[in-house]
Amino acid sequence: MVHSLPTPGSTQPGLHVQGLSRHFSGVKAVDDVSFDLLPGEILALVGPNGAGKSTLIQLVSGVERPTAGRILLGDVRLDGRGPERIARLGMGRSFQTSRVFPALTVWDSVRLGTQAGLLRGGGTMHKDPGSGHGRLSNPLAEIAGELLGLPGWRRRRAEADARAETALKRFGDRLWPRRDQPAFSLSYANRRRLEIARVLAAEPRYVLLDEPAAGMNPSETAELTDLLLALRAEQPTLGLLVVEHKLSLVRRIADRVVVLNQGRVLATGTPAEALDDPEVVEAYLGRRRTRPAESDAHLG
Amino acid sequence: MLELFASQIVNGLAIGQVYALIALGFSLVFGVSNLINFAQGALFMLGAFIAFTGVTTLHLPLVAAAALSVAVMSLLGMLLERLALRPLENAPYIAPVLSTLAISLIVDQLAEIIWSPEGQAFPVPFEEVTYFFGSAYITSTDLLIFGFGAAAAIALTLFLSRSWLGRTLRATAQDRDAAAQLGVRTSNVKRLAFGLAGALGALSGILVALYFKSVFPQMGLPYGLKGFAAALLGGLASTPGAVLGGLLLGIVETLASAYIGEGYRDLVAYTLVLVFLVFRPQGLLGDRRLDALGGLGGAGGAMPSTSVLSSSSSQRKATRVLELPPWGFLAVGLALALLPVATQNAYVLQAVAYAIIFALLVASVTLVSGSLGILSIGHMAFYGVGAYAVGILARNHGWPAEAALLGAAAITAIIAMVAALPLLKLSGHTAALGTLAVGQIGYLVFMTWLDVTRGPMGFIGIPAPRLGLLGGYTLASLTQKFCLIAVVVAVGLALAQRLLNSGIGRVWRGIREDRLAAHAAGLPVRRYILLGFALSGLLAGTAGGLFAYVQSVVSPESFTVSASILLLTLAVLGGLGNLTGAALAGFALTLLPELLRPFAEWRMIAYGVALLLMLRLRPNGLLGAR
Repeated sequence: MVHSLPTPGSTQPGLHVQGLSRHFSGVKAVDDVSFDLLPGEILALVGPNGAGKSTLIQLVSGVERPTAGRILLGDVRLDGRGPERIARLGMGRSFQTSRVFPALTVWDSVRLGTQAGLLRGGGTMHKDPGSGHGRLSNPLAEIAGELLGLPGWRRRRAEADARAETALKRFGDRLWPRRDQPAFSLSYANRRRLEIARVLAAEPRYVLLDEPAAGMNPSETAELTDLLLALRAEQPTLGLLVVEHKLSLVRRIADRVVVLNQGRVLATGTPAEALDDPEVVEAYLGRRRTRPAESDAHLG
Repeated sequence: MLELFASQIVNGLAIGQVYALIALGFSLVFGVSNLINFAQGALFMLGAFIAFTGVTTLHLPLVAAAALSVAVMSLLGMLLERLALRPLENAPYIAPVLSTLAISLIVDQLAEIIWSPEGQAFPVPFEEVTYFFGSAYITSTDLLIFGFGAAAAIALTLFLSRSWLGRTLRATAQDRDAAAQLGVRTSNVKRLAFGLAGALGALSGILVALYFKSVFPQMGLPYGLKGFAAALLGGLASTPGAVLGGLLLGIVETLASAYIGEGYRDLVAYTLVLVFLVFRPQGLLGDRRLDALGGLGGAGGAMPSTSVLSSSSSQRKATRVLELPPWGFLAVGLALALLPVATQNAYVLQAVAYAIIFALLVASVTLVSGSLGILSIGHMAFYGVGAYAVGILARNHGWPAEAALLGAAAITAIIAMVAALPLLKLSGHTAALGTLAVGQIGYLVFMTWLDVTRGPMGFIGIPAPRLGLLGGYTLASLTQKFCLIAVVVAVGLALAQRLLNSGIGRVWRGIREDRLAAHAAGLPVRRYILLGFALSGLLAGTAGGLFAYVQSVVSPESFTVSASILLLTLAVLGGLGNLTGAALAGFALTLLPELLRPFAEWRMIAYGVALLLMLRLRPNGLLGAR
C-alpha cells in the first residue's frame, strides 16, 4: 500500500479511496485499490485496456457498488450512496461513452447540469458537505416557482443559466454558436466537450473525467489540456481525476499518476516516475521498452 | 381437500402450458428483434379461428385442421415481419411496437367481420374422458393440452440448442451485428422467429379452443397479455423461463380463482406480475450479466440513450415540432366554449364534449409516455379513478363541482404516484409491462369492488355539476356542462404546457433521453418521475371527473386495457411528448368515428391502417415528437 490510511473520523479534505474492490462473478475488475485525491490536485489514472480504470470511476461516482473497501469525501462515506447523492455532494463525472441527452438542445443539456444546484437553493456545490448536504427544495415550491414565475425562483434560474453559459463558453466557438442544435447533431469530440461543460456547469468540487480526449486529434487534445490547466488556475481547490490514454495530456497536467493493471495499483508517483517505471512499460507494451520514451510522442 | 388442491394444480398446469406457448412466441421474437410483439395475441386468435373454419366449413379432421392452421399462421407470422417490421428497422424504437399494436387492431376487427363478433362453439371430435383419483379428477383435454404444450416446448428447446438454425437464432438474439458479420443472414433469422411465433400462436390458440370448447374474436388480447406477462415473469429472452413463467401464472391464477373467487383470477395474476417487477425485474431465469456493461443498450450504440424515440441507427433526424404556447390552449378552449352559440344540436355538443375530454386524457398519457419516456398502457385506470371519485364525492357526499373535481384530481394524482412506485427502477419494456399491470388491476378493482363501484352494474345517479362558488348554481343542461368542460380542459392543458416548457419539463425529457446521465448529473430522478405521474394523474383524473359529469353513469367497460392501448397509439400519433399533438389526436379521433358512423365496423381497421402509414411516413408523429 502506497498511502497510509487516515484514521477514521478525522476530517481530511479530499477524496480517499481505501482498499476498494469490485468483483464481477470471479473477475476482479478492481482489486484492493487505494489512493487519495486532494483538493487542487490533478491525478491521472492510466493503465492498459481492462485495467479497471472505468470501473473505478463507476464505483467512485456510485453507478456501481463496491464489493469491498471504502470511499470517503472528507469524512462522508460515499460507498453505498447512489450516483445522484454523490453528484450533489460536489462530485461531477463524465462517461467514457460521453452521455449527453441526445434529443435535447446543447443549451438545455448544459442547463440540466445546473438543475441540482438550483434545487439546493441556488448555491453552488463549493461548500463543504455539512449535516444538511443534499437537501432539496420542496417540489410544490418548485412547481409554484416554475408555473407562476415567482421572482425568487426566476433569480435562481437566472444565476443557474449564467453558470451554464460560462461553462459552455469555456469551449470558445465549439459549442456556444451551436447551443440551439440538438446534442445528437454534434461531432464525437463536441459531444465530449458538451458533457464536460455539463459537469462543470454544476460547479463541482471534484471532477472525474473518463477519457476526455478520446476521439480528439492532437491539436484538439492540446486545446482540452489548456482548458483543464486554465480551470485549475481559476479554481485552485478543484480536485481532478482523469482517466486517459493520451500520455501527452497526462504528462502536461497531472501532479501524480496512478497506474492500474489488472485491477491492482502497479505504480504511483509523478508522471515521469510512474510512466517510465519499467514494470508499467511492460504492462502497456507486453515487453520492455527498447527505444527512448520521446520517440513515442507522435502517438499522443 | 388435498385432492381438490391437486386437481386445481393440474388445471393450472394445463392453462399454464397455454400461456407458456404464447410466452415462447413473445420471447423468440423479443430475442431476435428486441421487440414486444403485441400482435402475438392476434396470431393466437387467428390460429384458433382457422382451425375452427377447417373443422366446421371444410369438414377436415381436427388434426388436419390444426396442421393447416399452424402452416397458415407460420406464413402470416413471416408476412407480419415483412410488412409491419422490416420497413421500420431504423425507425425509433417505439415504432415497431406500435406497428404490432396497429396490426392487432386490424386483425381483431377483421376477425369480427369475417366470423361475427359472437363466440362460437368449437366442435371437439372426441368424447371427453374424466379420470378420477379419489375425488381429484383430470380430464383428457387437460392431458392433451399438457402433453402437446410440453412436447412443443421441448421440441423448440431442442431446436434452439441443437440445430444450426437454432444456433443462428440465438446468436442473432445476442448480437445481431456480430452474427451478420459471421455470415448469418439475420433477416432470414428474423423471419424464422416470426414464423415460429405464428406457429406457436396457432398451436396455443387451438389448445385454448379445445379447453373452452369455443372461439371468440376478442380472445386475442387477454391471452396475449397473459402470455406477455408470463414471458416477463420468466425472463424475457429465456426459453425455459417462458415455460416456467407460464406454468407459474397458470397455477397461481387457478388457485386464486378456486380459493378466493372467480373474479380474482386476473387480479391476483397481475398483482403477481407487479410484485415480480419490483423484486425481480429481470424475471425468474433472466440474468443481469450484461449490466456490468451498462445493460443491453449501454454495451453498444454510437450514442447512448434510454429514449424510446431514439433508434438503432446512429443517425437521428431533427424533427420540426409544432405546438401551441400555453395561452394558445386557453384561446382554443374559449373558442370551443362558444360552440353552443353556433349550434344547440345535442348530438354535436355531446360528441365534441367527449372529444375535448379525450384531448385532456391523451395529453395526460403523453406527459408520462412522451416526456418521461415511460410507455403507459394503463392510463384508463387513472381516468376511471377520477370518474368514480367524482361520482362518490358528488353523489354520496354532495360536494359541489369545484370541490369534487379538485378532489378527484388529487385522489387520482396520489393513486398515480403510488402506482408509479413499483415502476421507479424500471425502464423500457418492463416499465410498459408495469403500467399494463396497473391498468389491468385498476379495471379489475372497478369490476370487483362492488360496495363502491357496483361493478358491472355501473355507478348510477351522478348529479349534474353544482357550482358552489356561484351560490349552488347547477349546470343542468348539456350546453352548460359543455362550457364547464371546455374551460376546465383548456386551463388544465395550458398549465401542463407551461410546466413542459419549464425547467421541470426539461428534466423529464432529460430523464427520458438518458436516465443514467440524469442520475450522474445529480438530478433527483425518482422525485421527477413521481411528479410526472402525479401531474399526469391530475389531468387524467380531471378528465375522468368531467366524463362522469357528462355521462352521469360510470361503468368499468369504459376503462379497459384495450382502451388504454388506444390512448397510447393516439399519443404516438400526435407526436410523443407533444401536448398539442396529443390533444389534437385525442380530439380528432374521438370526432372522426362519429362522422364515419355508417362504417362502424371498418373504423378500427381504417385507424390501424392510418397508424401503420403514419409510422412509415412520420415516425415522430403528426406534429413532431418533442
